[in-house]
Amino acid sequence: MSSTEQGTSSAAPAEPTTAPESAAAPEVPESFYYVHGKDKVVHKVSAGALQHSALIHGMISNLGYTEEQAKANPFPFENIDGDILQMVVDWCNQHKGKPTPPEDTNLPKQKEKLFDLVLAVNYLEIKELLTYCCKQVAMMVKGKSPEEIREIWMIPTDAEDEAAEKEAKKRAGKEAAGETAAAAGDAK
Amino acid sequence: MPELVMENIIKFSDFKSVLTLRQVSKDFLNFIDSLNDSTLPDSEFSRIDMIVNEDICLRYRDSNNIQNEFIYSQMDILRSFNGKITFLGSSSVIDVAIRDLELVLKFQKSNLRLLHFHLGPSFETFPVKLSNMFKKLNRKIKTENLSMKADSQSKIMPILPFVEPRTLERIDLLTLNDNMEIEINEIVKTEQWKNADKFNCDFNVSNFNIKDICHFSETLIQFLSVSAKEMDLLRKILIDSSKLSGIWLRLKNFNEHRELSNLWGPCFIGENSRLWYFRMKNSEEEIMEFELRRNSGNFTWRIKIIHIGGVPNGAAVHDYEEN
Repeated sequence: MSSTEQGTSSAAPAEPTTAPESAAAPEVPESFYYVHGKDKVVHKVSAGALQHSALIHGMISNLGYTEEQAKANPFPFENIDGDILQMVVDWCNQHKGKPTPPEDTNLPKQKEKLFDLVLAVNYLEIKELLTYCCKQVAMMVKGKSPEEIREIWMIPTDAEDEAAEKEAKKRAGKEAAGETAAAAGDAK
Repeated sequence: MPELVMENIIKFSDFKSVLTLRQVSKDFLNFIDSLNDSTLPDSEFSRIDMIVNEDICLRYRDSNNIQNEFIYSQMDILRSFNGKITFLGSSSVIDVAIRDLELVLKFQKSNLRLLHFHLGPSFETFPVKLSNMFKKLNRKIKTENLSMKADSQSKIMPILPFVEPRTLERIDLLTLNDNMEIEINEIVKTEQWKNADKFNCDFNVSNFNIKDICHFSETLIQFLSVSAKEMDLLRKILIDSSKLSGIWLRLKNFNEHRELSNLWGPCFIGENSRLWYFRMKNSEEEIMEFELRRNSGNFTWRIKIIHIGGVPNGAAVHDYEEN
């Protein structure tokens, strides 16, 4: 796999620090995992950051990969564009181990990017980020007419929908008739 | 968009946006209407009015005091909303109006300040259909004040039980018919009556027991007559009350002046009224004033708490007695 690794500066597992005498347990080195999207660009992400994603957290919780195994087996998310996955990874890193604030103003303003992010975040089950994204989409809808919303979300009208359905049925009927005729011809 | 995403977007949208989303396509409409009430945003309306006359009017006011109004015309079979007209074709005007009210109520989660129904003689089936809608809604309407203006008793009971009793502070029953009289015994049995703090009724009631109004801090009620014994019973209950603000009893007759003097002693004759004063329990300063006034053939009892300084010179103040 030709891939470019993009990761945080603290990519390597941290060396265990010498515990103070009073500390009860030694600090466990942080583990890292690798993910890539449609563009195959691999992102190195800490397990702590990935905890935001219920999907990935569930996948890695019992893996027990070594650093080498994790590197050799990046999680593929072929349904997510590279730049969108980058946004998700950045958000997870920024909010690693921190309580999430009530608002997030760093979401994309461009509707296509925002919708792609919504779908990715929903797939990866990142609850807090999904909340921010949905709030932003709700803001986008506010004050718009049904026609404007249809345009933003690229939704056909019911009439267009029905016409397309009729057309599809017609086409399917023709194809079926064609197949029957061909089959009859073959039989002769 | 996946369902969970759509649910989230709707949750963070306002009432107006969700109504707009319902108009985007049939799929959106079906999806939104299938959602649990808990998923829908709170419309935070302050009041909702439903006025049934020749036409039907559904009005709601939001927390910013902006009013929206639907008019349903029986004659033209249409609905108009903010200038936008929809012809209803073969649909029933009542059914459409009640469905719209149901939709408005589905979004109302916070307490309304006022829910008002004006139910005139047109659309006879309206109260029953309204009651069926409330049953279907399967939750009580949270309003602080409930006001019902009607021309018969049969239009009150289909609504009253569907108001959340724990939220209800005041019930106003108003008449559209000068000769209206209702039997109030059914109403006093409701949790709404028992929990409300104020009651106001501008027409005659029958089957009424004076004890039924003792829990209200403020009451205006009118009925045929009251006996001296009943007035004394009212005094005995109210003298212990800490929340009485005012009671007005409007009567057609009151003939027991002598019996009352036997029970309460002589009255103080005021300007156009007879007055009695009783010291409240545990208070040197607070006095309960009973005032009987005669106006154009009718009688009005007014009961209120006043400061001792308000007792006129020469009037006797009866000490508090354990009942």
